[in-house]
Amino acid sequence: MAWNHRRRRPSSSTWAFFAHNPALALFSAIAFVILVFGRMQPALFEDVRGVVDDAGAWVMEILSGPAGEFKRWGEGLGSFFSTYEENQRLRQENAKLRASQSELAELQRKVQRFELLLKIPADAPVTAVAARVIADTSGPFVRTILVNIGRAQDVEKGQAVVDDRGLLGRVIATGYRSSRVLLLSDLNSRIPVIVEGENLKAILVGDNSDSPTLEYLPSGSRIRAGSRVVTTSDGASFPPGVAIGVVVKGENSPRVKLFTSEGRADFVRVLSYQAPVDVDQVPNEAVPADKLGVKGPATAPLQAVPPPRVSAPGGRPPSMMRVQ
Amino acid sequence: MVEYLQLGYVWMAQQIWRALPMLVTLVMMLVSIAPMNLMQGWLPAPDVALIAVFFWALHGPAFMPPWAVFLIGAVQDFSMDSPLGFWIILYLFAYGFTLSQRIFFRGRTGVGALFGFAIVSFLTAALAWLFGTVVFERWLHPMDAFAQAGVSVLFYPLLSRVFMFLRNALTTAPESL
Repeated sequence: MAWNHRRRRPSSSTWAFFAHNPALALFSAIAFVILVFGRMQPALFEDVRGVVDDAGAWVMEILSGPAGEFKRWGEGLGSFFSTYEENQRLRQENAKLRASQSELAELQRKVQRFELLLKIPADAPVTAVAARVIADTSGPFVRTILVNIGRAQDVEKGQAVVDDRGLLGRVIATGYRSSRVLLLSDLNSRIPVIVEGENLKAILVGDNSDSPTLEYLPSGSRIRAGSRVVTTSDGASFPPGVAIGVVVKGENSPRVKLFTSEGRADFVRVLSYQAPVDVDQVPNEAVPADKLGVKGPATAPLQAVPPPRVSAPGGRPPSMMRVQ
Repeated sequence: MVEYLQLGYVWMAQQIWRALPMLVTLVMMLVSIAPMNLMQGWLPAPDVALIAVFFWALHGPAFMPPWAVFLIGAVQDFSMDSPLGFWIILYLFAYGFTLSQRIFFRGRTGVGALFGFAIVSFLTAALAWLFGTVVFERWLHPMDAFAQAGVSVLFYPLLSRVFMFLRNALTTAPESL
């Protein structure tokens, strides 16, 4: 009898607990139903989220002012004891940048000339809207931030968000005057990228760590650690060439050490970009050399360079094609 | 008519007075998500809402009824952009568990309460990880949830003092109420 009593006790005490706390049971049931419905119909609460984000945005905007000052004060305190070293490092860096400045200008001129010769259509213009980070809403499973511009400033879902060091993430939800940005490190982040130098395309996959992984690389491809990773316009929403990070060694697949880091951005820029798709309008004639301002002996009109021949040896899938 | 209006004012003042713990918790939650970069990216921010839910379940559940926990969880879901209901269920679990173990957490103003919060915090982290793996439909690293639980335990003594100050201002009733 005593054995039976002990055996039944846990379940009966659980029921008794809920019987004494019907409100707790009721609200738990409501939360469970909301969760299930929300998963079945993800768009159900999307508008509500936008409204709540907007409502919270004005409070967060007030709070973000003193919070920013506090942050700067904390960072300033940290660098106070290393001011001399920092100054020396910046002087050296400045000297290096001055040296490479003229080289860069020359290279830019060359690239512009070659683009004109090859009749490469100009990149679509990228417009940017500055925004302040008003909330760092990153949790154990989700990495997002809230910025203080929204549909009122023509912000749209999918637009790239950058800070002074590189790509931070993309807009995933917009309210009237606030937008939520999914950071690159978030579990749900997937960004098409290109590895400079090797010219390999891949997808940057967030996994809640500081260094997202590079996936869907062509099989057999080799990547050097330290290669820069930048955006590509393949997704048709990101402008090409925005810096993301450098390749580092990972356990199973290569990882990318991001230039941006979580929680450090005060101000960001939301980039508006539309990839050019109307390629038929590009003139199909060679441009005479004199129109390009090419100096030197007169030569025959420049010929357009034929496109690279693409072959797929051994019946490989298109992702493994080799450009000859 | 005037009497009814006066009654209404009194009723509203009572409700606001009783809702003060929840309102203070909401303000603390908003402050905690302000971009201060308090941990310099090394550690996650403490779960202020969980600390509040545990404290009030232990020291005065009348000031933090289930609907208030529900609201706090909903605000957390909206601010964290997690599926609506995710944090509500976790906080209601933490609240219910704390209520059921109030007698066990003896010496509730000292080490006993901290020990109790550590148990509740890590249990909630384990549940969050399991629950998250199911809800997000992918493998989540458990360390993220447990790191936040650890940081929350470190912050508990500080924040519980603030809540205790508020409790003493709200009522002189014994803690068992």
